[in-house]
Amino acid sequence: MSIVAHLPRRALTLTEEEAAAPPTMELAGRKRATAEERALATTIFGEFHADSRHREFVLGCLNCGECTTGCPAARFYDFSPREMLQIAQNGDATTLWDAMQEKIWACCQCYTCNMRCRFGNDIAGIISVMRELSVRHGIESTRRALAPFGRSLTLLMTVGTQVSSDMIQPDFFRDWGPFATGSDKVWQVSADIMRKAIPSDVLQTTRSAWEVSVQTSLELFRIYEETGVLDMLRGLDPDLTEMLVDIIEERREEFAEARERFGEELKGMQGPVATFSG
Amino acid sequence: MNPVLVLGGGPAGLSAAAELAALGAPTLLVERESYLGGNPQRWHYSLLAPDLRPAQEVMGPLLSRVENHPSIERRLSTSVVRAELRPKGYQVVLKTQDSTETRDVSAVVLATGFDHFDSRRKYEYGYGRYPDVLDFKEVEQMLHEDRVVRPSDGKPPRRIAWILCVGSRDVQVGNPWCCRMGCVVSIKQAVEVRQRHPEIDAYVYYMDIRTYGLWEDLYWKSMQEYGVKFVRGRIGAVTLAEGGSRLIATGEDTILSRPTEVPFDMIVLASGMEPGTGTKEAATLFGVPVGPEGFLTPRVSDLNPVDSGLPGLFFAGAATGPKAIPDAVTEGMGAALRAFQYARL
Amino acid sequence: MLSANEIRKVVEERNVHQRGTGKKVLDVREEMYHLEEKGELIVHRIRPENRPVELRTLFGWTKRIPTDRLWHHKSCGQCGNIPGYPSSLLWLMNETGRTYLNEPHQTSCTAWNYHGTATSNPVALAAVAARNFHRAYETDHFPLIHCGTSYGDYKEMRKLLVENAAVRTKVREVLRKMGRDLVLPEEIVHYSEWVHAMRPEIVARQKHPVHGVVTTVHEPCHYYKMVPEDAVYDDAVYAGQRPAVPSGILLALGATVADYSTWYDCCGFGFRHILSEREFSRSFANLRKIRPMVEEAHSDVAITSDTGCVTTLDKSQWIGKSHGLSYLLPVLSDVQFAALSLGAHPYKIAQVHWHSASAEGLLSKMGIDWRSAKAEFQEYLRALKNGAAPELLHPAHGEIEKFFAINKGQVLPDPEVVPALSAGSATTEGGPAA
Repeated sequence: MSIVAHLPRRALTLTEEEAAAPPTMELAGRKRATAEERALATTIFGEFHADSRHREFVLGCLNCGECTTGCPAARFYDFSPREMLQIAQNGDATTLWDAMQEKIWACCQCYTCNMRCRFGNDIAGIISVMRELSVRHGIESTRRALAPFGRSLTLLMTVGTQVSSDMIQPDFFRDWGPFATGSDKVWQVSADIMRKAIPSDVLQTTRSAWEVSVQTSLELFRIYEETGVLDMLRGLDPDLTEMLVDIIEERREEFAEARERFGEELKGMQGPVATFSG
Repeated sequence: MNPVLVLGGGPAGLSAAAELAALGAPTLLVERESYLGGNPQRWHYSLLAPDLRPAQEVMGPLLSRVENHPSIERRLSTSVVRAELRPKGYQVVLKTQDSTETRDVSAVVLATGFDHFDSRRKYEYGYGRYPDVLDFKEVEQMLHEDRVVRPSDGKPPRRIAWILCVGSRDVQVGNPWCCRMGCVVSIKQAVEVRQRHPEIDAYVYYMDIRTYGLWEDLYWKSMQEYGVKFVRGRIGAVTLAEGGSRLIATGEDTILSRPTEVPFDMIVLASGMEPGTGTKEAATLFGVPVGPEGFLTPRVSDLNPVDSGLPGLFFAGAATGPKAIPDAVTEGMGAALRAFQYARL
Repeated sequence: MLSANEIRKVVEERNVHQRGTGKKVLDVREEMYHLEEKGELIVHRIRPENRPVELRTLFGWTKRIPTDRLWHHKSCGQCGNIPGYPSSLLWLMNETGRTYLNEPHQTSCTAWNYHGTATSNPVALAAVAARNFHRAYETDHFPLIHCGTSYGDYKEMRKLLVENAAVRTKVREVLRKMGRDLVLPEEIVHYSEWVHAMRPEIVARQKHPVHGVVTTVHEPCHYYKMVPEDAVYDDAVYAGQRPAVPSGILLALGATVADYSTWYDCCGFGFRHILSEREFSRSFANLRKIRPMVEEAHSDVAITSDTGCVTTLDKSQWIGKSHGLSYLLPVLSDVQFAALSLGAHPYKIAQVHWHSASAEGLLSKMGIDWRSAKAEFQEYLRALKNGAAPELLHPAHGEIEKFFAINKGQVLPDPEVVPALSAGSATTEGGPAA
């Protein structure tokens, strides 16, 4: 099985310029929206307010700012959970659209704002709703924000773990130092041997976080198909989605073959293992 | 006529007892502490808002009316541990450290008051951990003793911040109500500090300023005459500055929409008002309904805020919700009148 | 009118941080049983075989923590890049004689797919949760969640499945297509709660005293900021003002738990940030967490109890040198620290070599001879390279399990509830190696 997702190449050592100034996120959405974008913004605005979670998560706001105080993202980006809640509560289609360009991606989803909010709002939750809509409608800035995640998405969609040890490549994770990446250079053995030295067979793989059985990954994919996740992803990245479907097709064939191969051993077993066909 | 029981010796209870005595009713004033005067006395309040009158000038006359009256029986260090409704009034059991006594009373005024919010519960502010993070009541005592210094090193502070609404208007600590007093008392404290020590900078961090009615005057004056500074936004956390000698208040200036991190020498928490221990106990003893906030609930609060709706049982003061001293005194008068009418029937 | 007792209850509830108006917090567990009665779902119960221990939550509710017959719900980040985290936990279970399953038949919670990239939705998340819950149920082992985010997510999903009939119906429908049913565990249990419940048994086996060790705790956000009412608090830990885990085990082992001002801050993980906004993650980790831990608290080691936090706090430090921040404070999970103090092998079990900030200075302070252990590990690696069989904490799975989530006929909890699935005899598949 070949997973062909690309790893983004991006220098991660600090340049002098970066070292001198704290990192900032560019604020997008200032340029004039096209008619097409305005129409999309209106659609999104309607869907956002119709979502039942909106009523549940956004209760009101005293504008006290405590959410922003505890917010890690507010410290380094032009971002404030209070502003996001205000936009969710009172904003119009344009402000919502602007916030959905880049600001939503600054949030760390740490839930500190929720725990601090004296009004009981679910701010991290409402930001997730905005993100979900931006993915569902495949808006351009979201494509860009998610571009580096092809590999982890592929893993998540096919085996249901987001990281594998072979993802932690030293050249991509130079800032993590020489010891963090399976340490093959330090210990003079291959990454495979480093994984073998973990005392559980389930973890002795480099291609996913742990070995995931084919049945399990097919069950997961079935969930994605049935709950609209695949369609959602298709809107964002059709090529990636087609690749995922291909991978899963291969695994379904593999599963069917295995059922023949292990027919004897499977006899008499009950529950999903006996009935699930992929 | 059996005496009317007044439970609680704070401003409301003192006022009720004094009025009952003036009406000619025998009065039994029961106070769990060893002294009368309630929270103002307990925490040595300094000047009272909004007129900046020394607390003694208000509490003194209230106390002396009660202390010198022959028909008021004062029972200090005493609690009511049982109460039973009788055809007329209640039978109560009074308990001191070494005795219990059963008494029949013709009516009851519950003036059991409030407790200051325990600021340790809002742990983000480090109260109880950092010595220079103070509570309302500690600053009152400091001003009362005229010694404004940092507890950590005994040095005079250069910059003090007040954080409003600590333990109020906050579902995270279970207290969604407004304490009504935090704004005006904080401003008063800031003014008091500036009056005596103009070299100290005073900042008030607020989300709303509720100096309602004529109290607004103090708010304006605090800026016009005393140079108190107001920043709109809450401090979300207090941390230590590098070296550990100064406090850092982290917050958002919501007018400028930007995060702030400001060093202070002292930080004062405007700790809110919660139903007092005595109020919680009284609710249980007398079977009084409490609202979702835990305060006693008058039957029809706008029609008669001192009537419990239960026979012979009346309320006065902060037992029914946060209240200023003048309001507590007024309610004491109202409750006295209603209790007297009931007892005489 | 409320009775005196009811009034007392109301007032007491207020005192234990009951939320006020607005959102009323209900104990979702109660509603779960009502739904079970109506046949809408199956509650996976904690049974005597699970040897439960009672702990207390933020609101004073009782939470029963199963300590035996557990189904390991692994964490992808832990297994992927800090494997000493799960292996230390498995090792502690072997030491304390607990049985468990560590299977290939588990997906992650996939919450990364939601909180990181938003390429999922709550129905999918709920279905994934329920799928894993059912797998644990069908093996008759109680799920133990390793990851803080999975734990937070599963609590949210349990709430969603209980409160939202439409989501429940949809998820049940999806599960039925794979021969599964809607199962919710009686409690959602984080492994650190298991550790807290097991303190006496763990401490009884301690080999290396840690009295001289100053620890600082990073409290994982998703442990206690998501569905806060279900996190475990203990009056003996910070007077019940902060979560009991993972500080409780450190105190029990005799380490100093030092306070620092930014304890409430997150680590800087941020899901997507740790991969594509690393300037942010490392700035936050170094400036807001590591620096105060070292400068205010003079900490020897940072201890935390979640995947993302160990990753971010540990791996962000190496680059700090370029900004003059050369702290290199060791960062370990509570189970690694506990296992080490019980004499676990620092490399074979605690796998400290996967960490960026070296733990060797700390090991010396704990009185652990890491030099011999390291030489031994190098020897072991050479042997593996030459084809030696790896040392395992539990028996390896057979070839068939690469494909099939086999059910070896584990006894299902209550034949009354699910007669169709109840046949078979009792065997456990995994469990500690003899």
